[in-house]
Amino acid sequence: MRTAIVTGAARGIGKEIARRLTRDFEHLVVVDLSPSLADTALELEASGAQVTPVEADLTTDAGIAAVVGATGTVAAVVNNAGITRDARLVNMDESDFRAVLEANLGAPHRLVNALEGRWADEATIVNISSRAYLGNFGQFNYSMSKGGVVGLTRALAIALAPGVRANAVAPGLTATDMVETIPEDVIDRMISSIPLGRMGTPSEIAEVVAWLSSPASSYVTGQVLVVGGGRSLT
Amino acid sequence: MHLHGQATSLERRPPIALGTVAVMHAHLDVPADLRAGFLAAGVVESDAGGPTVIGVPEAGSDWPTTLDALTTVFTTTKAAAIAGSPIVFVVSSDALLGRTGPTPAMAANGVVSAARTLAAELRKQGVPVNCVARSAATPVDAVVRWTLLLLGGGPDDPTGEVVQLGGAQIGKALS
Repeated sequence: MRTAIVTGAARGIGKEIARRLTRDFEHLVVVDLSPSLADTALELEASGAQVTPVEADLTTDAGIAAVVGATGTVAAVVNNAGITRDARLVNMDESDFRAVLEANLGAPHRLVNALEGRWADEATIVNISSRAYLGNFGQFNYSMSKGGVVGLTRALAIALAPGVRANAVAPGLTATDMVETIPEDVIDRMISSIPLGRMGTPSEIAEVVAWLSSPASSYVTGQVLVVGGGRSLT
Repeated sequence: MHLHGQATSLERRPPIALGTVAVMHAHLDVPADLRAGFLAAGVVESDAGGPTVIGVPEAGSDWPTTLDALTTVFTTTKAAAIAGSPIVFVVSSDALLGRTGPTPAMAANGVVSAARTLAAELRKQGVPVNCVARSAATPVDAVVRWTLLLLGGGPDDPTGEVVQLGGAQIGKALS
């Protein structure tokens, strides 16, 4: 049975990635801090896949152990869980800096380390970075964490080759409930700088993740793919 | 250096004088050869303000140690940003490519991304924020020279850039 792990799967991009991967994997281990994960798992099971929800904090040893304990051999991992604590650097608290680094960078590093010896043949890792790894005003902590994810991906691609491939996806502005908290005029301004003229959808991110998790991308490793409607060019 | 008969901004703003204003914070985990090179060039080891050199750990370690080192980078960078001081981060080009293991790669790439963000935040003030990437074969004096050059930059000079020394990045992944 081919198992995929998806973190941050209760909602948004992570939920859509999990939904997409039910077409390619028999067993999904879906991980999130949110109690709404149980509802997501029920939705995913309707597709016919076996789904194991794990409500866990991946910044803790206990959370990592809970995920590993729910998993046998692993064919794919998607490190998607992440948080933001935005502020200009001059106003940023150390606690917010560390919280974002722990959740967005430390957690994927810990999880991949904990999965040593459990990789299936031709397994894949997809780490969700962000277009913010190219730099983004007001996100010193977040962009550091997402740049760090790119670095982690490159190192894993070298260290785990040839058995495991590791790649990163860097979404741009994507229509999730996180975006709903941004004022409409700000969203309009952001969209005006996207050549494709709109936000991305979670399913568009999920398709790229599914490709990188599949044999169709069998000669691709250590890469970061920006999925942002061309925003990285403008 | 003249382009089309006009003096470049680097000529208008010469590199900072060695041993006078550049600082390297004493508590940073700077690789020993770099620390020695900067001190030999007259950079002051001090927690005072001024154009600031920030070295990034290049050795592998566990995540908690890496997070602590990055937190020190954060506090040092924040202090320099509040003071409006130019900043140069010195990173390993091997680490940028992931060749020296996960935690050095996480630190180096993370710092480059954060430097780009800070460059955006300080751009209106004309404060440059850049990175110098060195390979194992790069002479320390080249790192020092480019670092001081970038620290002496002004509003029209490079910001948010990674200056790769030695050409080891050619044909490799862009950072």
